[in-house]
Amino acid sequence: MSGTDSVIALTSPEISVKLFVTDDSVVRPLELIAVFHRWIKDDSLEDELVIDVANYEHVPQGPGIVLICDKAHYYFDVRHDRWGMRYRSRREARAVGQEAVARAFRSALHAASLLENDPALEGRYRFRTDQVEFGIYDRLRAPSTEDTLEAVRPALDATVEALYGAPAKGYALQSGPKEPFMVSIEAPGAPDVSELLGKVAATAG
Amino acid sequence: MDGGPSWQDKLKDQIPDELGREVDIFETQMELRRRGEVDERLFAETRLRRGVYGQRYDNGQRHDGTQNRPLEYRDHPTKGPETMWDAPGMVRIKIPYGAMTAEQIDVMAELSEDYSDGISHVTTRQDIQLHFVHIEDTPDMMRRLAAVGITTREACGNSVRNVTACHLAGVCKTETFDVTPYAEVLKEFLLGHPDVQDFGRKMKPAFSGCAQEACGLVNMHDIGYIAKTREVDGKVQRGFEFYVGGGLGAIPHPALLLTDFVSEEEMLPLTQAVCRVFARLGEKENRGRARIKFLVAKLGIEEFRKLVYEEREVLPHDPRWTSYIKDIADYAEVPVREPAPLETNGEHTPEFRAWYATNVRAQSQEGYAVATVKCPLGDLTADQMRDLADIARKFSGDNVRLTVEQNIVLRWVSEADLPKVHAALVAADLGAPGAETIADLTSCPGTDTCKLGIAASRGLVAELANHVGHLNGGTDPALKNLRIKASGCFNSCGQHHISDLGFYGISRKKGGRLVPHFQVVLGGKWVENGGSFGLATLAIPSKNIPTVVKRVTDRFLEEREPDETFTAFIGRLGKVEVKRFLQDLTEVPSFEEDPSYYSDWGDPRVFTMEDYGEGECAGEIVPMVEFGLQASEREVFEAQLYFDAGDMEKAKAMAYKAMLTAAQALVKTEFYDISDVPDQIVSEFKTRFHETQRFNDRFAGSKFASYLFQAHEVGGNGGRPEQARDRVQEAQLFIEAAYKCYERIGTAGAPA
Repeated sequence: MSGTDSVIALTSPEISVKLFVTDDSVVRPLELIAVFHRWIKDDSLEDELVIDVANYEHVPQGPGIVLICDKAHYYFDVRHDRWGMRYRSRREARAVGQEAVARAFRSALHAASLLENDPALEGRYRFRTDQVEFGIYDRLRAPSTEDTLEAVRPALDATVEALYGAPAKGYALQSGPKEPFMVSIEAPGAPDVSELLGKVAATAG
Repeated sequence: MDGGPSWQDKLKDQIPDELGREVDIFETQMELRRRGEVDERLFAETRLRRGVYGQRYDNGQRHDGTQNRPLEYRDHPTKGPETMWDAPGMVRIKIPYGAMTAEQIDVMAELSEDYSDGISHVTTRQDIQLHFVHIEDTPDMMRRLAAVGITTREACGNSVRNVTACHLAGVCKTETFDVTPYAEVLKEFLLGHPDVQDFGRKMKPAFSGCAQEACGLVNMHDIGYIAKTREVDGKVQRGFEFYVGGGLGAIPHPALLLTDFVSEEEMLPLTQAVCRVFARLGEKENRGRARIKFLVAKLGIEEFRKLVYEEREVLPHDPRWTSYIKDIADYAEVPVREPAPLETNGEHTPEFRAWYATNVRAQSQEGYAVATVKCPLGDLTADQMRDLADIARKFSGDNVRLTVEQNIVLRWVSEADLPKVHAALVAADLGAPGAETIADLTSCPGTDTCKLGIAASRGLVAELANHVGHLNGGTDPALKNLRIKASGCFNSCGQHHISDLGFYGISRKKGGRLVPHFQVVLGGKWVENGGSFGLATLAIPSKNIPTVVKRVTDRFLEEREPDETFTAFIGRLGKVEVKRFLQDLTEVPSFEEDPSYYSDWGDPRVFTMEDYGEGECAGEIVPMVEFGLQASEREVFEAQLYFDAGDMEKAKAMAYKAMLTAAQALVKTEFYDISDVPDQIVSEFKTRFHETQRFNDRFAGSKFASYLFQAHEVGGNGGRPEQARDRVQEAQLFIEAAYKCYERIGTAGAPA
């Protein structure tokens, strides 16, 4: 992938960031339906036009419970048997390059923070920050290849440094050639979600 | 995205010209609507006929359980009456007779991830639906589908919908012959056919290879074909029992026999004649009575038959009616593995044995079997779709079909491979047993995504799935083959009328509050192509439906006579007794006693009907002439684009074509069979509209008509390049005049 292509990959609006829960055993996905409906009622996601909640709990390793928004989806998904909060932007890119990455981190962290602090969940949901999954659902601009990883690495590096204060320990391409581009980011630390959220708010602008 | 790669470029060598052109046209229509240059009603029907459907909350309103709140979408023109442009919608992808290749399954997985929410939903009519799709993504989605030979054309709207057929066609032991190639031919013949563009409602065709099994569900289809042979002069002749006027919906009608034998030579023309009669005489104003079943009922089958055969006599000959027959014998599916028996001496796991008992059916071809993949609520993830495609490549080849029970079958699996297939399916979370049993429940989307949904049919079915495993008869042979099906409303997309235990969503009031209910329909016949409809009994609160299932099935087990079917048992019990023994379940506690009754399954909001919207199933009634005029506008728009790009020859040719299209649209109001030949269009237009002065403008007289005649004289793109600007402007004026003429003849009561 050329230098030009690296710009193209991060012009895609279809960027995703997933934060994994620390303990899968505490997850009771159906309880999140009520939580997400309440978020809609309370306008908890200020930047989003939230439309509805979709329930795919019956599908193994699937999208789980989805908060459908106009320009994003928030999945509490269990892909590859790992529960977590996945933010996935859609439609028009609200930003490009590093800013797009930082914005996606911010949205994922915000949703994770809401879950951690939701009174109905009694503090059972906690998210790890030492490992984050970054993805681009755009096979045209970001095929699942090492080249794409190289192309987006500078933006990922910059975001990780800004959030964690140190470079990432490593990146690993997780997706097969037919899957959307997915990278596992091994972060240099494991700060609280709230701490990262504070830092990313400034970065993402 | 500016400067980025595009699917249009990437796939340009893979998309068949015709399909590519169709998508380009749709994209242009979208652009014209965005500019406000196409009427919203016309655009709605246009997108519906491309499979682009509305979805719940697309009117910009949503009830949050306490109050109705606006969804503040960006300010764009609507994409239909009260349908916000930016609101996500559903795309229905027609899969003719449910047949998919491994490559198509892979693409579907990609599309579900890239444009939807990651789920491919198998429908009860062998389609795949993707939800939460934005309209701006639909052209690229269609291109990616077209590159693997799939079109969404006429998947919705008042058109001929997906042609369905038994998923076992060609491999079934009970079939008379393989109906697959006939379903394919009918699909090709009717797609875009002029005689199916002017219906008051949709028309659903279905094929079955036999009368006794369920798979084809001919009895509940608008037009249906059951394979049949007869001997003529010592030779076996293929044909069909031909049925018309079946349908579910609020008022189910069993299909009636149009003829007990239509030969393969006559299948297409007779169908065409049925379509013409339906287009001509079917209801157009009252959409609730516009399906063909109402026309057949109104006329009576004898009169309807007479009209159809009269129409058949005057049909202009079409060589396609019979040209396909010589190729029928060549139709064959190609397995990827050699036939071999299942190793019976080997140790099979209990899981495999359970799966084998319910999900595997031996084919008529020795050594091969059909393996059914049970899909809960018809849903599969993209990862599962990819896994399925890989399994198919390895074990069954491109011989995959969707079923009307929202499952998927792998055909031509070598029996010896079944343990490996099962292991691969289990690894993909697709190896659940219980296919086509009481544990294999069906539901339409209901209130999850459908604008018409009243109650949460998917929520109910998900809940019932947790219960049927606990039924005493979960493995009891008497219960095993029962079917449970639910619809979110009376429209019956979940096919509740023909299931043993059927439910459809309604609402009732208690103490001034709405309570979600399901009407209980018992004893429908699934076999014999959906042979009879169930008995509507009582409206029961949603939260009591699991108890209904338990109580009814328990009583069936206790009181059934030897070999008595559930349908017969319910018939013997009778409506009065069924009502009596379910009556107590109709009681609704007060909100204060138990508020859970006032919410639906899987939706914690207090139940409301505020989100109930106007459905798009019926499409918009748009006369043919308006489609023609819209097409002419789109063509003149394209002519302008050519002109702007400096391609004067194409600009002139397209402008000329736009005038021809507008003229043809007008002529069609009087001469339905006008051809696409320019000489004939111009001649008929001249006779009918120019010489009669009906096209004349009040001030400009025959000036606008002369633009067409002049362009026609020079052969479309003739003339000097610099005349292109004039030609495009003349075409615009001609189309304006055509619209005015249409208004005048419409007012005068001319056929529209």
